[in-house]
Amino acid sequence: MILYLLCFILLLVGLYGILTKRDLIKIILSASIMGYAANLLLILFAYRNGSIFPILRKGVEAMPMVDPLPQALVLTSIVIELGTTALLVALALKLFQKYKTYDITKIRKLSG
Amino acid sequence: MDNKSGMTIIVKTITRITVPTIILYGCYIIFHGHLTPGGGFAGGVIIALALLNVMIAFGREFTNNWLNINFLEKLESISATLFLVLGILGFLIGTAFLFNFISHGELFRLFSAGTIPILNIIIGIKVAMSLFLVVWVLAGLKLDEGESL
Repeated sequence: MILYLLCFILLLVGLYGILTKRDLIKIILSASIMGYAANLLLILFAYRNGSIFPILRKGVEAMPMVDPLPQALVLTSIVIELGTTALLVALALKLFQKYKTYDITKIRKLSG
Repeated sequence: MDNKSGMTIIVKTITRITVPTIILYGCYIIFHGHLTPGGGFAGGVIIALALLNVMIAFGREFTNNWLNINFLEKLESISATLFLVLGILGFLIGTAFLFNFISHGELFRLFSAGTIPILNIIIGIKVAMSLFLVVWVLAGLKLDEGESL
């Protein structure tokens, strides 16, 4: 239970960063931290005490294994996070090209 | 080779030694994806990072000459199409999408598990190319152009 709470605190750290930081790069990093918290929670749900990774090996008897389904889900989630991070970085670079700053309080012009 | 672009001669020499090794390791991870931890995604990321290592050490201009970027873009699209073709073949031959229609072979052998190693190789190529091309495109943005406030 305490692990899930720590996971939630990690999510809150990312949310704090998104809401309070002014630098665009720090906002992108905070969004990544929120994603990591979600991934960690999914992996923790699949964990069973005293079990091994879900891969059969030569000469080793089958033991209790962790659930591989959330791990596959998290792999997909990591790929999607990569895509969203690349999109955010591209938008941040375009904004920098236009305004010569990453400070969101100085990016004020709406059009043109 | 000019020494203007990229980093110092130390970094370039070390990169020349290590990058083939890293690519070989990525291929190993991809080909053993159905036996050991890893697989297409992990190996593809390793290969993409090796290529990005070259781009950071030698500069973007050198990478443009060294690699055929148009070919890499086509390779990415072709690998996605091949994945779809294999999935639909499973639908036609077997019962469901991505059905494993090749003989499964013996357990723990390198050439076993039917279509899974082929799909791993396809995913590896796709991930390596797309991850490399994303950073390659982002590195090409010229930040000193455009108007200022």
